[in-house]
Amino acid sequence: MSDDLNINKKRNNQIKTKSSSASGRGETDIDYVRPAEVPDQDLYHGHSFITKWIFCQDAKVIGVQYTLTAVFTGVVGLILSWMMRMQLGFPELFPFLTAETYYQFVTMHGMIMVVYLLTALFLGGFGNYLIPLMVGSRDMVFPYVNMVSYWMFFVAVVVLMASFFVPGGPTGAGWTLYPPQAILEGTPGAGYGILLMLISLGLFVIGFTMGGLNYVITILQARTRGMSLMRMPLTIWGIFTATVLALLAFPALLVSAIMMTLDKILGTSFFMPTIIKAGEALSYDGGSPILFQHLFWFFGHPEVYIVALPAFGIVSDLISVHSRKNIFGYRMMVWAIVGIGALSFFVWAHHMYVSGMSPWFGFFFATTTLIIAVPTALKVYNWILTLWRGNIRLNTVMLFCLGFIVTFVNGGITGIFLGNVAVDVPLSDTYFVIAHFHMVMGIAPIMVIFGAIYHWFPLITGRLMDETLGKWHFWTTFLGAYSIYFPMHYLGFIGVPRRYFEMYDSPYIESAVGMNEFISTAAFIVGAAQFIFFYNVVKSIRLGKPAGKNPWKANSLEWLTPDVPPAHGNWGDKLPVVHRWAYDYSVPGAKEDYITQTTPPSEVREAEVEKT
Amino acid sequence: MSDLNLDKLPGGFKGMSTDIGSDQTAFKGVNWGKAMMWIFLLSDTFIFSCFLISYMKVRASVVEPWPYPSEVFALEFMGAPVPLLLIAIMTFVLITSSGTMALAVKYGYEKNKKMCGWFVLLTAIGGLTFVGMQAFEWSKLIFHEGVRPWANPFGAEQFGAFFFMITGFHGTHVSIGVIFLFIFARKVFKGDFDTGKRGYFTTMKSDYVAIEILGLYWHFVDLVWVFIFAFFYLW
Amino acid sequence: MYTGLVFLAVIIGSIVFHVWTPWWWTDVASNWGAMDDTIVLTFWIGGGVFILVCLFMTYCIFKYSYKEGRRAEYKPEDKKLESRLTWITALGVAALLAPGLVVWNNYIKVPDNAIHVEVMAWQWGWKYRLPGEDGKLGTSSNKSISDDNPFGMNPDDPNGKDDIFIESNELHLAKNKPVKILLRSIDVLHNFYVPQFRAKMDAVPGTITYYWFEPTKNGDYEVLCAEYCGVGHYAMRGKVVVENEENYNKWLAQHETFSSFIAKRKNNNFKNKKLVKISNLLSEENNILREKDVR
Repeated sequence: MSDDLNINKKRNNQIKTKSSSASGRGETDIDYVRPAEVPDQDLYHGHSFITKWIFCQDAKVIGVQYTLTAVFTGVVGLILSWMMRMQLGFPELFPFLTAETYYQFVTMHGMIMVVYLLTALFLGGFGNYLIPLMVGSRDMVFPYVNMVSYWMFFVAVVVLMASFFVPGGPTGAGWTLYPPQAILEGTPGAGYGILLMLISLGLFVIGFTMGGLNYVITILQARTRGMSLMRMPLTIWGIFTATVLALLAFPALLVSAIMMTLDKILGTSFFMPTIIKAGEALSYDGGSPILFQHLFWFFGHPEVYIVALPAFGIVSDLISVHSRKNIFGYRMMVWAIVGIGALSFFVWAHHMYVSGMSPWFGFFFATTTLIIAVPTALKVYNWILTLWRGNIRLNTVMLFCLGFIVTFVNGGITGIFLGNVAVDVPLSDTYFVIAHFHMVMGIAPIMVIFGAIYHWFPLITGRLMDETLGKWHFWTTFLGAYSIYFPMHYLGFIGVPRRYFEMYDSPYIESAVGMNEFISTAAFIVGAAQFIFFYNVVKSIRLGKPAGKNPWKANSLEWLTPDVPPAHGNWGDKLPVVHRWAYDYSVPGAKEDYITQTTPPSEVREAEVEKT
Repeated sequence: MSDLNLDKLPGGFKGMSTDIGSDQTAFKGVNWGKAMMWIFLLSDTFIFSCFLISYMKVRASVVEPWPYPSEVFALEFMGAPVPLLLIAIMTFVLITSSGTMALAVKYGYEKNKKMCGWFVLLTAIGGLTFVGMQAFEWSKLIFHEGVRPWANPFGAEQFGAFFFMITGFHGTHVSIGVIFLFIFARKVFKGDFDTGKRGYFTTMKSDYVAIEILGLYWHFVDLVWVFIFAFFYLW
Repeated sequence: MYTGLVFLAVIIGSIVFHVWTPWWWTDVASNWGAMDDTIVLTFWIGGGVFILVCLFMTYCIFKYSYKEGRRAEYKPEDKKLESRLTWITALGVAALLAPGLVVWNNYIKVPDNAIHVEVMAWQWGWKYRLPGEDGKLGTSSNKSISDDNPFGMNPDDPNGKDDIFIESNELHLAKNKPVKILLRSIDVLHNFYVPQFRAKMDAVPGTITYYWFEPTKNGDYEVLCAEYCGVGHYAMRGKVVVENEENYNKWLAQHETFSSFIAKRKNNNFKNKKLVKISNLLSEENNILREKDVR
């Protein structure tokens, strides 16, 4: 085969396989892989402590930095949720919990969890660590910009946390920040609080654009030899699609944040109509609150898929490795991820069915929302079909995957309730919605995050986490969280609205009292159970069983580095060469029950592999 | 994949998907920085689209009458008001600067240091002129016409709000471009792109492709202006 | 082994909870029972999928636990199965969407004989206005709201003269008479929601939104605000009383109309207070942060 596609003549070490010897090729060279198109990456090497651990340009370090910061904000969000549950389960017990503080906790909890924990952790944390390793490159394509992106995120978190300490406290407008209330007196934090929130979101968007560009270009343009798009693990497909969504959806958030900031500090009327306060009209006039909702949800709906798609991708890989079976229907899974991503831009107004927008939109968005259920359902079928006739290791990782399936299907089905516009009318703004989105965005992706941490911990640290502690952690978290959110749907059925500080006098809602107490108690238990996890992590870093190389016997490239944990530059002298997809498990005829991506075909001639 | 031959691809969708899905790169021969700029510009397009769509939505729904841009943005010339004169000149300047930028890219690839440098400088000056005229427009409206983001004497208050916000955002983009153009002009004249000198921040090797990448950004800024001009000033 | 059992227990527990739950929706007191029916259908189809998927998964846990030396099946894809599953899912989705859209169509098409009722939402309470004998509500504007004119009525509109003001949180409705609720907010977003009526819609300042329903059962119903509107959101309650026509007319007669409201004011020689104050652009009070108006 000719080298005419070699753009640049400078090449470093090419892997020469046995068959392509100098004597020429009599038979088709089964180990042949196209030569490198570009020279090896010109990598930055930090030498001081600051350039190696603080302002570090190595994506692995950046990934850990993102993870630690995101988890820190997540813990803050968790504590806020305990405060909220204290009020809801045992009202009047804590005098410091006024309606103002309650709404501030509600808002900060929501924003932190959705944006600063889940998005940052999946894209910034897992994305940075896994993308270069899984596609076979040495680092991201622009390490400097990558480094800056983390520090932007860090500043965004600092600004957000600062809003707790300013006069008036943090904003209490609900994570959706709807105007006009978000910037008016009567809503907590309508002064400095909302401003800091908007500024923090702006910084977050800028930072994640920088990071997102890195992830997308690395996946598109910096894969190693032999790594075609359809050989990439589904983790990469999930993170890739989510990043594309982020790059296209965050603009709407940024624009709405800018316009709301101007409404606040300059008195413009983008979103502010005529408003009567204390008998006097404010100087606003002519603006449209519904415009904000359109902009916000044009961002907001893709945002939940930005959280969900990496979870889908990761869980596919976890299930596959630990059931020793290829993921069922890989091609369909890829198309489903891409399809869900594309469709997610056409469903946003299902968050606005009762917003007062033109009623005719209801038909369109109900249809698109229920259409998007189809590729999502296909993914669920493929996950359970992967388990079918598998060889399932019931370790902690797999348990979290199973927990994911149960909670995701539950949450997804309740989404069908809400997506069907007429059904949404009685249920919107009730606890049914809260139960739905916690189940499908809170519990299910968190299951994947835990599973992923238990799975990749041996790669990052070289040690295994404790299995017994892991199982205790899993069962308490899964059973506890399920018993919090499953019954909560029924609170929505009896009509309990969301964002209510107290139900008090309601005659027919007295029955909710017992349920709220139960849910709060369960929440505290699940919260406490997370200490098991943190203890496990800290303990295992030093005292965990040494894992060696590739303890799970997985196929994908991140397990095949010469050093564990992977060193700077990932691959040593020679970049890997890929010969197959990531799912050659239990191949008939093969000696082992796995064939790594870099195994050349000549070494497994007897295996009946599919051509990938 | 041992039979993958990118020279002999089948036609139609299958050929295209084989090419894009092939190993190493989806877009053959495309420099990383260039790919990044394209995708960044796609994201930036969404930002300006959100601004313009919001503008159209609000304009369609305000009860107060919307001012006539041709009257608001008229300049006095020899005693008679000429509608949109300043805007026309600004548009001409920006489009011309896109032309000089294209020439700069051409000379850059031909490694003609002097011509490339001069055209980058010309582009920068064009951009600076544009920003200066925009600043003049702003000061005229603010100090002489009493237009504010929260109200104006011509009609609906959102007119001023959208004007300042959209042109402000665009002007900021132009200004950032101008700064980079001056920096790059200096680098070209110093010969950094010939020698491949490492950058100060990123420590990456300099290459003339950077001029093309900046050119992409500059053309984007120009294209956004055309849309703003059409939707805000002409409509 | 016990793993499978616990997952099975979760599935069975969910079904048991659903069947025996004491927390179920309130008795429907309006014509929108069709929404409940659609929910029941969704429970059958969606709930069925949930149970089947989880049972299948649990079965796999039992049957395919790891055994050293065993090999899993190697089958990258099964196009026929995937195609079948796609079609079945699409059918299930369509079966849910079709009735839902029919109900929605009914929801947005108000019957001609519906009585218009304006519900005015404010932080943090409710006020109502009824059209009176001519059946038409007079035009109004939020900018005209003042103590003298709590509903911002246009004094020149003849339709408004007989409009009936209800300045408390309590609204009465006649049984079996459809009403079109016209939602009006004078400050921020609110939402007029009575769980027993099932229907709701946000009240958006700057525009009028609507929904309709027909009350079918006499009774006292609590109104809950269902769109976050500030610290008083949870306390923004109201009451709807549905009663027979006779009692309804008695209640109606107790409330004053716009004309009688004006007459009362005139008799008290109440000086015409200046209408709403709007800050002047060019005044000295103008400053960037607009504290007194924006805060």
